[in-house]
Amino acid sequence: MKFLLFTNDHSTQLRTWVLIRPIIFALIFVSVVSSAFAQDWVRTGTGLGIEKVRIAVPDFKAATQDPKNTDLLRVFNDTLFSDLDNAGIFDVVSKSFYPLGPIGAPADVKFEAWSSPPPNAAMLAFGNLGVSGNNMTVQGWLYDMKNVGSPQVLGKQYGDAPTAEGARLTAHKFADEIIFRLGGGIQGIAESKIVFVSSRTGKKEIWEMDYDGNNQHQVTHLGSIALSPRFSPDDSRVALSSLTQSGWEILMYSLELDRVVSFPRFGGSNLSPAWSPDGTKLAFSSSRTGDPEIYVVDSSGGNLKRITSFKGPDVSPTWNRKTGGQIAWVSGRSGLPQIYMSEADGTNAQRITEEGYAVSPSWSPNGQFLAFSWIRRYGPGAPGAEDIYLMDIASKQWVQLTHDGGRNDFPTWSPDGRHIVFQSNRSGTEQIWTMLADGTAQKPVTASGRNSQPNWSWK
Amino acid sequence: MESHTEIFFEHERWGCNLAWSVGLHVLVAGCIVGYAIVAPASRGSDWGAGGGGDAMGVTLVSNVPLPASQTQTQNVLANESKGLSQSHPKPQPEVKEPEAIPIPDKNAKKKTKPESSATKRKPEPQPVEEANNIVPFGQGGPVSGPYGTFSVGGAKGGFGVTGGGGDFGNKYAWYVKVIQQKVSENWLKYEIDPRISAANRVYLTFDVARDGSPRNVQIEQSSGVPSLDQSAVRALQRIDTFGPLPSDYAGNKVSVEFWFDYNRK
Repeated sequence: MKFLLFTNDHSTQLRTWVLIRPIIFALIFVSVVSSAFAQDWVRTGTGLGIEKVRIAVPDFKAATQDPKNTDLLRVFNDTLFSDLDNAGIFDVVSKSFYPLGPIGAPADVKFEAWSSPPPNAAMLAFGNLGVSGNNMTVQGWLYDMKNVGSPQVLGKQYGDAPTAEGARLTAHKFADEIIFRLGGGIQGIAESKIVFVSSRTGKKEIWEMDYDGNNQHQVTHLGSIALSPRFSPDDSRVALSSLTQSGWEILMYSLELDRVVSFPRFGGSNLSPAWSPDGTKLAFSSSRTGDPEIYVVDSSGGNLKRITSFKGPDVSPTWNRKTGGQIAWVSGRSGLPQIYMSEADGTNAQRITEEGYAVSPSWSPNGQFLAFSWIRRYGPGAPGAEDIYLMDIASKQWVQLTHDGGRNDFPTWSPDGRHIVFQSNRSGTEQIWTMLADGTAQKPVTASGRNSQPNWSWK
Repeated sequence: MESHTEIFFEHERWGCNLAWSVGLHVLVAGCIVGYAIVAPASRGSDWGAGGGGDAMGVTLVSNVPLPASQTQTQNVLANESKGLSQSHPKPQPEVKEPEAIPIPDKNAKKKTKPESSATKRKPEPQPVEEANNIVPFGQGGPVSGPYGTFSVGGAKGGFGVTGGGGDFGNKYAWYVKVIQQKVSENWLKYEIDPRISAANRVYLTFDVARDGSPRNVQIEQSSGVPSLDQSAVRALQRIDTFGPLPSDYAGNKVSVEFWFDYNRK
């Protein structure tokens, strides 16, 4: 009865609303038009069939006659294409669908040919590259192909040295600019770096590479064992744990000075450092009192505080990267290692995995997810595959991201929260792999030696 | 010594049983091997299908921070919303046969027959092709004023712009698409009361500031389901930025009306 009354009421209200609405809108319109640009209204809805933006990236055109152009263009075009393909928000149109004829400037764009099948592109990224003397100039545009009236979304000009490295960097910059615009204000990752542990020189040292595996180079030359590198939030330092004369200690390596900078030694085994998102604190595990426990220390090394106090090891802390207000870590207090979560001061600890063998938690940049490595059935007779899982923290729902066998461990998030880098031995040896955060597009980025424990930069 | 004889006696008795045993074992082994040879083609259709009592229930996270492909039909016939355009079957003009001679009483029935078959053949009112520039009918869309529309990658429905400069949606269709995509990504359906299977459309309004951050989130029209309203508001609270407004846009904010449709399948 009540319900009926309500709906009746509702519908009459609605009817009156429908009746008076034209008048109201007319009034609003008249009043608003008089004050130009006072407000713009956009009406939109969800569930309208969200799909990845279909983007076409025809090869850039040479703008000058310089002989270097050919090589640089090849590097530039390949890099731009793969950056956009890797971004996770685009459906990049295959080059075989492209209409004939090079596009180097806005005047060359034929809207009809690009916006109708087969390319059927919603967006078009095009431009030109020219070397003149000691300079390489790149002009790039991003056009909305469905909007012939005012198609330009982006127009950019870059200058750099005419080297392959310069061409690659410029392509990364342009790709990031496109991703920033069309990805909702999230910076692209084309210019981001990954640090990892590699033993290809015979000793386990820290190495660094571009996100796509290019430009791999050694960072540390400690001559002992270096593990668990972690970028500081400003990407100027790397915290790592290394075997020193006084045992396992946290070392601070400055990427700007290219050397180890001072950081106190705490005694016992100090492992797995983790930066708080504001860069002021460092959490790590230390066995200075016998049992490995989680400690928090200022990034300068002072003000050491212990935040766990249970029997059994507590290791591998990670901060909530959005708020910095919570910490997740691995605890062995109940037997096999499980993931626990607490406030940043150690209060309100709760276990969030219920079974198996769960290690290597990593908090997503938006604070919503925890990626971790999990052997769900652990013990004799169990299959024992170690895979990467994603847990939604609020609902405790989880999803398995890797299924392809081998041991998959040490997941870390990319700064845009759309990618995960991890270590896997599915190809025979331990290598670094990347994937989209939904588990698709898995691919190796390293191939030589044994590489492990990756960490993605914050920008 | 006695035990020896006993063992000997038992040994005597084994002979026959042993023969039986060996025979049966061979038979069983033969059956297994035979089955293995014959059967492989027939099994294997549902291996790994799980269903075991101790299998753990896998609950998929509905949303990872990637553009999910949530396709929901806006077909007029497939959901309970009124659709985009008001479609009435066209009144069929009455066709009178010139030779028809009106005969009173007796043949009155006969005369009606051909007419009814004609109405049968009349094409059914087809679902109207949803054009992008159609005013949403009965869905609170803009009724008067200029509605710029944009045909953004297959998205059909309540895109409309009104008021102000009025050309934001026209000029920056890509930005509107970004808004739509971001809100959809951040809307977590598991926050909604699981007992609800469908609800009225909830309308939200909010502003996008110059730096791209959402402001003034308000529920314009409730769905009647508090958890649905809340989930929609939270979707917006989760968003830090949509990205700065286009640099050549003159206004200092854009107002957005957004609706959420909920239909658990």
